[in-house]
Amino acid sequence: MRAWARLLTLDLRRLTRSAGTLAAIILLLALGIYGAWRAGRSAEAARTSLAAAETAYSDQLDFLLSVYPPATDAGEVLYYLAFPAPQPPLSVASLARGRAEVETESLRVRLLALEGQLYEHETVNPRLAAAGYLDLAFLLIALLPLFIIAVSYDLISGEREGGTWNLVRLFASPRRLLAAKLASRAILVGAVAAAVMAAGALMAGIELDGRAGWMFVLVALHTVFWFAVCLGVALGHRSSTANAMILAGIWVVLTILAPAALSLANAVLHPVPEALELTVQQRQGYHEAWDLPPSETMESFYRDYPQWNDRIVPEDVFSWGWYYAMNHRGDQAARDASHAYREVLRQRDAWARTWSLFAPPLAAQLALDRIAGTDLAAQLDYQDAVRRFHERLKDHFFPHFFATAPIDAVVWDEVPRFEPAAPAESATRAGFPATIALMLASGLALAVGARRAGVHGNATAS
Amino acid sequence: MRNLPTGLSNTLLIARRQLGAIRHDGYAVFLLGLVVALGLVAALGARHHTTNRTEQRDRYQEMVDRQWLEQPERHPHRVIHYGFVVFREHAPLEYFDPGVSDYAGTSLYLEGHRQNTANFGEARHSTGLSRFGRLTPASVLALLMPLLVVIAGFAAVSSEREGGTLSLLLTQGATPGHILAGKVLATGAAGALATLPVALAVAGMAGPGPDSFASGTRLGVLAAIYGIYLAGWVLVTVLVSTLRTSSRGALAQLLALWVVICIATPRVAASVAGALYPLPSRAELTHRVEQALNEVGDSHRPDDPFFRSLREEYLERYQVAAVEDLPVNWRGVLSRESEALTSRVFEDHRQELVAGHLRQNGVMAWSGFLSPYLAARDLSMGIAGSGPETMEAFQAQAEAHRYTIIQRLNELHIHEIRNQNDRAQRLSREEWGQFPVFETEAPPLGGALADRRVSLAALGLWIGLPLTGLGLARRRMALMGTGRSS
Repeated sequence: MRAWARLLTLDLRRLTRSAGTLAAIILLLALGIYGAWRAGRSAEAARTSLAAAETAYSDQLDFLLSVYPPATDAGEVLYYLAFPAPQPPLSVASLARGRAEVETESLRVRLLALEGQLYEHETVNPRLAAAGYLDLAFLLIALLPLFIIAVSYDLISGEREGGTWNLVRLFASPRRLLAAKLASRAILVGAVAAAVMAAGALMAGIELDGRAGWMFVLVALHTVFWFAVCLGVALGHRSSTANAMILAGIWVVLTILAPAALSLANAVLHPVPEALELTVQQRQGYHEAWDLPPSETMESFYRDYPQWNDRIVPEDVFSWGWYYAMNHRGDQAARDASHAYREVLRQRDAWARTWSLFAPPLAAQLALDRIAGTDLAAQLDYQDAVRRFHERLKDHFFPHFFATAPIDAVVWDEVPRFEPAAPAESATRAGFPATIALMLASGLALAVGARRAGVHGNATAS
Repeated sequence: MRNLPTGLSNTLLIARRQLGAIRHDGYAVFLLGLVVALGLVAALGARHHTTNRTEQRDRYQEMVDRQWLEQPERHPHRVIHYGFVVFREHAPLEYFDPGVSDYAGTSLYLEGHRQNTANFGEARHSTGLSRFGRLTPASVLALLMPLLVVIAGFAAVSSEREGGTLSLLLTQGATPGHILAGKVLATGAAGALATLPVALAVAGMAGPGPDSFASGTRLGVLAAIYGIYLAGWVLVTVLVSTLRTSSRGALAQLLALWVVICIATPRVAASVAGALYPLPSRAELTHRVEQALNEVGDSHRPDDPFFRSLREEYLERYQVAAVEDLPVNWRGVLSRESEALTSRVFEDHRQELVAGHLRQNGVMAWSGFLSPYLAARDLSMGIAGSGPETMEAFQAQAEAHRYTIIQRLNELHIHEIRNQNDRAQRLSREEWGQFPVFETEAPPLGGALADRRVSLAALGLWIGLPLTGLGLARRRMALMGTGRSS
């Protein structure tokens, strides 16, 4: 046991003496701390954005009540008022940003037709978005494997090429040496990863709940997967150069090519109609209503709201009940298109998650986004929550419109508040398939490597 | 006199020797095939994508144009709210490099009283799978081709040294200059061999068309940019191979360099740009716009100070007692003045956002000195006509178009609609055909390049530095060579 510990410390010292390794460690740690700081900033930005929606609402309400006489029709004042729908992000959302950088979850909706208001996005600079984002998930899923490759590609071949392999075999079991070398690398990589994650947890104020736990498990298993790949390749009797090329190739395929290919296939299999179609249909549905007799608009309105089919609006003069019913007609016109649009996005999401299981690092990345609530499904869930909110607002205010109530008849404390979307899936369900994929793939990599080693007359088995 | 042909033949001899080594390297050949295949798939996929988008755009443009013309007789203010929809025309070379187009909207709903943001592009419908963006000819050339160059050339000089053949070559009359030139030539040839099919596919797809001349010029400039970028990689690869004692060390160092230049730095730069010049969130921006709008006033509100003074001015000018007696339509006047005020508010806030983008883009441009990949991509999207300035031009032109049409409708309201019984009146359907058609004008090539001087300089440095390094390495090799042979 003491001999093993000495072997381990010896190898650790040998590793950290290399200038390249040291530079890589420093670079990774620097990026990690920077990423953690950015995570903290993005959590703060999310809070500011949510607060801004609330403040904007109360400011606007105060302003409107101060300029409009209390007897003004509620419908007129409410035309200007947008209600906040802030979705508080999960505590871990700042670690895996997913789509959170481009989507806003702090919408405000007016009582007008909803489809035109639902697809507002964050104020993103396309140039930065095209360059890609650097979050801790990217660091740990995309960059950390390269570090693992850098320290492990010459695991056995390096000894062989250095002429030390045969020497070592005289004094220690090669299996033990390999174990010690792997252990020292695992300690090194694990320490870097742990430092990065700890920095992230501290600087972004992460709650250590089940979601954080699952993220940790995924990152750990993903790291193990890359060690398994490195070991699998190292067991074959190739030169260090060949190993480096093969491992870099595997990384490029799993990190760049597989996602690009899957995305392409996904886009071809599930074409998304022009997103503007919703706006166009809603606009057509709403504006046509102005050229129709009010009763016709109300007819279709009552189909969705039979509880109000006794509220009649005047045929010859403008009324706010009719006005908002025309807006509803816009949403009705866009309903099919909107449904199809969401359906196709859900299909894309499900398809991507299924097929990513064949490229485990990809599955891990998607699972991280999903656990963090920053993926496509979370965005769609949020939109559904906003839809429900809009309905509740309509339920609340339509009686005012039909009764031509003045604005001071509105009891503002009773106005519905936004109910945030609950995370659709538990962290366990989101993370489990990816962990299985990672474990199976690790086993596979080792088995392939061991078989190759066996075919070539294994050096380690002596 | 005989020295020159000998030198040239030596160089060619060494290049041929190196190409033979590459040909026998299974990994290099496999990678070459892979990159070529990927390049072709990317070109086809991108073409398919662009054709699809163009068809879709044409179909919807035709639909909304028809809807516009088929409007019944309507009151002009009704039409202001009805608005219209415009689509950005794809740049002819967007399939080669989509630039930022996936992240910027291609269609915009223009209506009165408000400024909408361009609906978000393709990235909005992505599942978060591809953190490296779509596979396009540009990304194959800029991201993957350097890897091929590295694999083809990392052992160029170091293997000769490891095998002891380097001093042999030197003693047999090849100068260090010949050797380095030959190695650069061979590595470059391998890179060119892989690039050629992609380049031909791209050029073939550009094909004959209405913009073929303009596209041809742009394709030529693109070829030059990627040529320089990849030549830089060739030089760097041979240089590292010369400096490192082992091939294995050279490969490790070159791969690390690729990761830093192509993978890490672009993201770090984008992140730093965002941290240095943060943009207000959508929610904050809407709040600010709303407050500014409240300040300029609203014609619908009784007792609004601005519009009260406007009324007095009009009553004075036309010498009437009430707005109903004005010879022009008072509600139309209100709407016109109100549009002028609100448009300025929207435009000011949009400009603020654009200014923020420009500052962030400046950080990206200067980062080109750290990552020639960024410089090449920046130039590439500029030349292909899919850079941020194209998207910004679309937004600006759409806003100008919106303002023109809305104010024209307001003028119709002012002059064609009587004050009495205002809302019941309608404009005839012929009017709808009289409105101008929206046309986007893409920024010219010269401007795109002039705006990218920083990236051009960065690319120049990318080729200049390794050239200098190779010059120094040659001298060192000469000293070493003589030292060893004596």
